[in-house]
Amino acid sequence: MKNLTKFCLFSLAIGITSCSSEPKTIKIGVYGPFTGGSAPMGASMRNGVQLAAEEINAAGGINGKKIELVERDDEAKNERGGQVVQELLDKEKCVALLGPINTGVADASTKYAQQKKVPQIINVSAGAKVNDLFKDNPENYIFRIAASDYVQSEMIVREAIDVRKKKKVGILCDDTNYGQGGRDKMEKALATRNLKAATTGKFKVKDTDMTPQLQEAKKAGVEVLLCYGIGPELAAIANSMEKIGWKVPMIGSWTLSMNNFINNATKNGDGATMPQTFIELGATNPKAVKFLEDYHKKFNENPIAVAVAAAQGYDSMNLLKAAIEQAQGTNGAKIKAALEDLQKPFEGVTSTYNKPFSKTDHEAIKEANVTMGVVGGGRYHS
Amino acid sequence: MNETIQLLISGIAQGMIYSLVAFGYNMTYATSRMFNFSNGNFLMLGGVVGYALYMSAKLPFIAMLLGIVLVGLIMGWILYKTSIEPSLQSKSNVAWILATLAFGIILKNSVEVFWSTDDFRFESPLGNTPLRFGTVGVYPQEILIIIVSLLIVVGVEAFKKYSILGKAIVAVSEDKNTASLMGINQHFIILFSFLLASVIACIAGTLVAPITLVSATMGTVLGVKAYAVSIIGGLESGYGVLLGGLIIGVSESLTARFISTGYKDAPGFILLILILLFLPSGIFGKKVIKKV
Repeated sequence: MKNLTKFCLFSLAIGITSCSSEPKTIKIGVYGPFTGGSAPMGASMRNGVQLAAEEINAAGGINGKKIELVERDDEAKNERGGQVVQELLDKEKCVALLGPINTGVADASTKYAQQKKVPQIINVSAGAKVNDLFKDNPENYIFRIAASDYVQSEMIVREAIDVRKKKKVGILCDDTNYGQGGRDKMEKALATRNLKAATTGKFKVKDTDMTPQLQEAKKAGVEVLLCYGIGPELAAIANSMEKIGWKVPMIGSWTLSMNNFINNATKNGDGATMPQTFIELGATNPKAVKFLEDYHKKFNENPIAVAVAAAQGYDSMNLLKAAIEQAQGTNGAKIKAALEDLQKPFEGVTSTYNKPFSKTDHEAIKEANVTMGVVGGGRYHS
Repeated sequence: MNETIQLLISGIAQGMIYSLVAFGYNMTYATSRMFNFSNGNFLMLGGVVGYALYMSAKLPFIAMLLGIVLVGLIMGWILYKTSIEPSLQSKSNVAWILATLAFGIILKNSVEVFWSTDDFRFESPLGNTPLRFGTVGVYPQEILIIIVSLLIVVGVEAFKKYSILGKAIVAVSEDKNTASLMGINQHFIILFSFLLASVIACIAGTLVAPITLVSATMGTVLGVKAYAVSIIGGLESGYGVLLGGLIIGVSESLTARFISTGYKDAPGFILLILILLFLPSGIFGKKVIKKV
């Protein structure tokens, strides 16, 4: 009898705890490549998000609830991206998503967030479709805080043609969704100036010898190379240029600011110019200075492997916090509405944003928030 | 003209890198009809350990080389014990494929977790300034790669031909059972060939590192290209591997320049299909006649 009472009490207790279905934490999904060739970007982004989440939790969380990050590795594979996002949404029941890095992964996975009406802030992928999605989904749940390829390719072409007055350009891009998307947009930016690239070359991820592509460009009398790729292969371009004894300016995607470009190209990378949202060296904005100090200490990494990804990751988490606070809850539609109409200006480490998003524009970063960086002396600066 | 010479040199150096990896496949295929599908990841391990010893710990070059050989021996032995020996005992035709692939995945993921996921520059002991011959530029390391690859292949082939142990290897590769009857310990010979293949892969890792950068993924593509090289050259021929590597390397760089960079891998792989169709044992391979 005694045991029976105990049992009843016990089951009652279980019943009560399991009935209070309101979760005690706010689950946020973070995904990106944490292994493989794109991992430095993924890891820096994740570290930035972690840092922001820790600070938010230390200050009491959002609306009294702690943040719980659920991290998944998409291995930079498109199909894997779709799988992890479904897991984050269906199994983990995340209320919002941050990431990813790779254009192909983003385009293969954002549709799941859209279907479930869970807001997602893309914090690194520059080529992923964001505003293009409005066509099919007027209620678009995908946002971005990263310089889109539209902004970058326009700035790259402007630097080459309008500022440096070059006439003959060569385009060299990797054969991923990212590189080919960039090529397409740069060609369009050239077309608006009635220009065409003299040569267009391609390379594969992990290629280390760019001699053939560069010889073709050299023969065509190219005066400036416009490149889209990631750090190690961009370094291979710079190094192969030295090998064949030919040097023209390199202007390209923000990835020219990655440490694995700067360290692997060494002096051959000097002068490479890229649009970027965050410069680690000589940061003056007090928020950025504090962010860098904390990052260097927490992850024991100085300089940051991919500072742009870290800063955008950090900002994306804080931006989400601002929206959830304003929405007073974790309902996807409400968070989306709050993001589209943020009342307080958002002070990030990349910039200060007044109304970063609107109902028809989900790109936080406009040309005004992007500056050109130049590689020199083992770092990149403005 | 200079342009073509430059392309040829780049292609040859790249082809020799493929040959080195492919040579590891051939080495063990001859003795056991098995090879390490993850040889590319063994090469990566050599590069990473070499980087840790030479670039991070700043040990002298010779000490690094000894360290690499030691790592190659240990890993070769573990691979043999975990992936090859069980297949030999169970006479399985597929277990070794999966086992060696799994071994490589574990190796790569461990390096990513315990070391780094980034790409690093390995300073060549010969310097990173290209030598100039007219307008043609060559890295000293590229010349070293070509020389060392030739030395390794010729050395191992001579060893097989002239030393007792080498002759035992040939005997096992000709006919395992007869070799056993003649008093050759075939399991030891197979173990020996795996150790040698693994040491060569690790040395190749540090050899190519100044050109390819060091990272956990540096061996993945090389490993795949090397399959093609092995098949084209013939899985049992050491010299065939050199030829296969040259064909793939040079065709890549010439196609990229004169046809299109997008098609650079195509000629090599088309040739691979043709060889599989018409010369299934490779250009230098022996005709296999299976007696029933």
